[in-house]
Amino acid sequence: MIRFLVYRLLSAIPVLFVVSLVTFLIMWLVPGDISAEIGGVDATPEDLAAIRERLGLDRPLLERALNWYAALLQGDLGQSYTLNRSVLGAVLERLPVTLSLAGIALVLATAMGMLLGILAAVRHNTLLDQGAMVTALVGLSIPDFWFGIVMIILFGVWLGWLPTGGFVAFSESPVDWARSMTLPAFTLAITQMGVIARMTRSAMLDVLSQDYIRTARAKGMRARAVIFRHGLRNAMIPIITVVGVLSGVLLSGAVVIETVFSLPGVGRLIIGAIQRRDFPIIQGGLLITACVFVFVNILVDIAYAWFDPRGRDDS
Amino acid sequence: MAQVKGGELIFVQGSNPPSLDGMSTSSQASRNINMNIYETLYGFSEDIKPIPILAEGVEISDDGLTYVFTLRQGVMFHNGDEMNSADVKASLERYRIVGATKNLLAPVKDIEITGDYEVTFHMEEATPTFLEAFSSPRAPAVIIPEEDGDAEAGKNSFVGTGPYKFVEYVPDSHVTIERFEDYSADTRSDGIDGFGGHKTAWLDKVTFRIIPEPGAQVAALEAGEVHILEQIPMPAARRLEDDPDIKLYENLRWAFTTFIFNLNVPPSDNVKFREAVQVALNMEAIMAISSEGLYTLNHRWQYEDTAYDPGQIGAEYYNQADAERAKALLDEAGYNGEEFVILTDPNIPQHGRAAVVIAEQLNAIGINAVINQVDWPTALNIRMQDEGWNGWTLQMGIEPYLGPVGLIATLASPARPHFVVPDAGLDALYQELIKGATVEERLETFKKIQAHLYEIFAIIKVGDSGLMHAARSNVKGFIPFRFPRVYDVWLEG
Repeated sequence: MIRFLVYRLLSAIPVLFVVSLVTFLIMWLVPGDISAEIGGVDATPEDLAAIRERLGLDRPLLERALNWYAALLQGDLGQSYTLNRSVLGAVLERLPVTLSLAGIALVLATAMGMLLGILAAVRHNTLLDQGAMVTALVGLSIPDFWFGIVMIILFGVWLGWLPTGGFVAFSESPVDWARSMTLPAFTLAITQMGVIARMTRSAMLDVLSQDYIRTARAKGMRARAVIFRHGLRNAMIPIITVVGVLSGVLLSGAVVIETVFSLPGVGRLIIGAIQRRDFPIIQGGLLITACVFVFVNILVDIAYAWFDPRGRDDS
Repeated sequence: MAQVKGGELIFVQGSNPPSLDGMSTSSQASRNINMNIYETLYGFSEDIKPIPILAEGVEISDDGLTYVFTLRQGVMFHNGDEMNSADVKASLERYRIVGATKNLLAPVKDIEITGDYEVTFHMEEATPTFLEAFSSPRAPAVIIPEEDGDAEAGKNSFVGTGPYKFVEYVPDSHVTIERFEDYSADTRSDGIDGFGGHKTAWLDKVTFRIIPEPGAQVAALEAGEVHILEQIPMPAARRLEDDPDIKLYENLRWAFTTFIFNLNVPPSDNVKFREAVQVALNMEAIMAISSEGLYTLNHRWQYEDTAYDPGQIGAEYYNQADAERAKALLDEAGYNGEEFVILTDPNIPQHGRAAVVIAEQLNAIGINAVINQVDWPTALNIRMQDEGWNGWTLQMGIEPYLGPVGLIATLASPARPHFVVPDAGLDALYQELIKGATVEERLETFKKIQAHLYEIFAIIKVGDSGLMHAARSNVKGFIPFRFPRVYDVWLEG
């Protein structure tokens, strides 16, 4: 297992290199830079040139890239042009918000999706099956920004139960943290639940038609044990794959939710940086996000091994 | 009405301040906050005339080459030090380096400390409009402690002399300021006046919350979680106008909606073509849609009834919607269907909406108008290029608050004019304007400028666009202006 982990970590290095290189090239291709934001609409060409020179934006792409990689090797992701702080500091102070949001949403989406999927598979071709799948489809089809606003109006304005937006750190008040996370996490979860529900249903239907399930039932094993011990456990591999992919989608999809609910997360940090052309934040933010994504994928691989001993043997 | 001391006010704006260094940014999102933290020697009054704020006054020599500023005594910085002439000199020397509009100090040869509370500006040449330029709120020449004099742009300690002091900035979340107990109010006036006057901080704390989504802003206001929205979308304002818990504030003098030509490329290099566009446009339709119904039709390049109101000059070309005359002018211009690219962006919604209506109206008279909508940094990048665009929609927000000099400076040499190719006639009039000794003289010159702008048609005044603020009804004392003055505002109940 340790060899496997080391191998997976080492294989992440070229992935991260490619991510950073592609980001660099895209940023180079995008027109405009931070000088217009800093200089304002009335800046003269000389003002803009002076700003570019101060920030090193007048240097050739290769030189900028080499400098950035050289600094990266020393653990320095650079300084934001506008936030008056280091890139690493800016991203790390936002990471708890995004991870809280994506983490809670993933748990909710997985729990609700698996429940719907199992019910649909066990009660195959019944009204319950159709009802569960319609619910999943509705969840998949609802635009999250619209659903978010509806949730805000319903629970924030009309009922007044939950805040309409903003973030409270867990360390400040666990109760207010939970209140501030409820609507955004539920909104994010509801739109992703459908994927898990459909995958669970499909995987369970496959497994439940296997001979060993029939054997288990034939020998008189209780239905619950058949479904959960023999059925669900064997259906987990494709479900884990989907959950792994969704964790990446939730991290990136959180951008819209962070905007609607005014959460200061990594998504808004990067989007704001793109709008202002704050290159160091874009570059560093995407690299750290990619690291999180790679880490989650490693966790998924470990989970594979946990659920399927054959994977453990192969590794 | 009895003011109430205490409480926390939450003000909502849509974007982050790019910097809280008062002098190094011209961003509105920053100014909203900074003008409650920092102050200048001179600033504009409510009716856009220079008034002393941190200065006691100024004595200008007869030849216009020396300005002696005396400072108000006993003015404290948020760090507990008293402001003196060394702070003023250090601040202005820093402004020459990092000030976002540092050219406003270009006429000043050097700044000499001539007393503990006195600084003297020695000028390169007589510049009668210097005090107006120096009062500019665009990127104000704020006074900060001498210790911050060497700080790079954005790296000062955010210490000023204003009624509120900086506490915390969490990007994408909020900026918090709190009452400065040792604030030295300017007792020369009875109340606030533009950027100056007698300011009183009633609130303990003010939080500027950053909420980008307008629907979420309105929901937060309705839920009572926030107190003031910098801007409420007009459909939401109409829905809430009868709500007793909400009060709406019309700010009609918010910005000029303009349409700028690129004089360097065809077909917009042809004055007859530009005149055709001018007479073709139905300003009422453009303004109604771009401002969502909150606007004033105004052909003037100043607000009506202000010191430099040029009267009816140019009115005969404004809001004509005269398709026949426009088509005749297009024939005269020899226009034969070349593409007319309108550059715009969605970041400032009025820009994109105005562009769509303008393009429709121009297509209707046979102009092959196409829209190039890109994000704001890209639009700024493209319009700095001499080619690749023909027209550009721009909201001039702060310019009307700069007086005629500040406005025309963006259109005349030595700056690169918005319309790319300098116009010799306008350049000469700009020089005449900045050398006008009195307001009356400058008004006469400005009238000539107004007439000239309606001769060269390099930039079109579409109208005056307003902004609707909204507040909870327990917010008292709020008077709309170009930035939210959170001093002299209090919470009732």
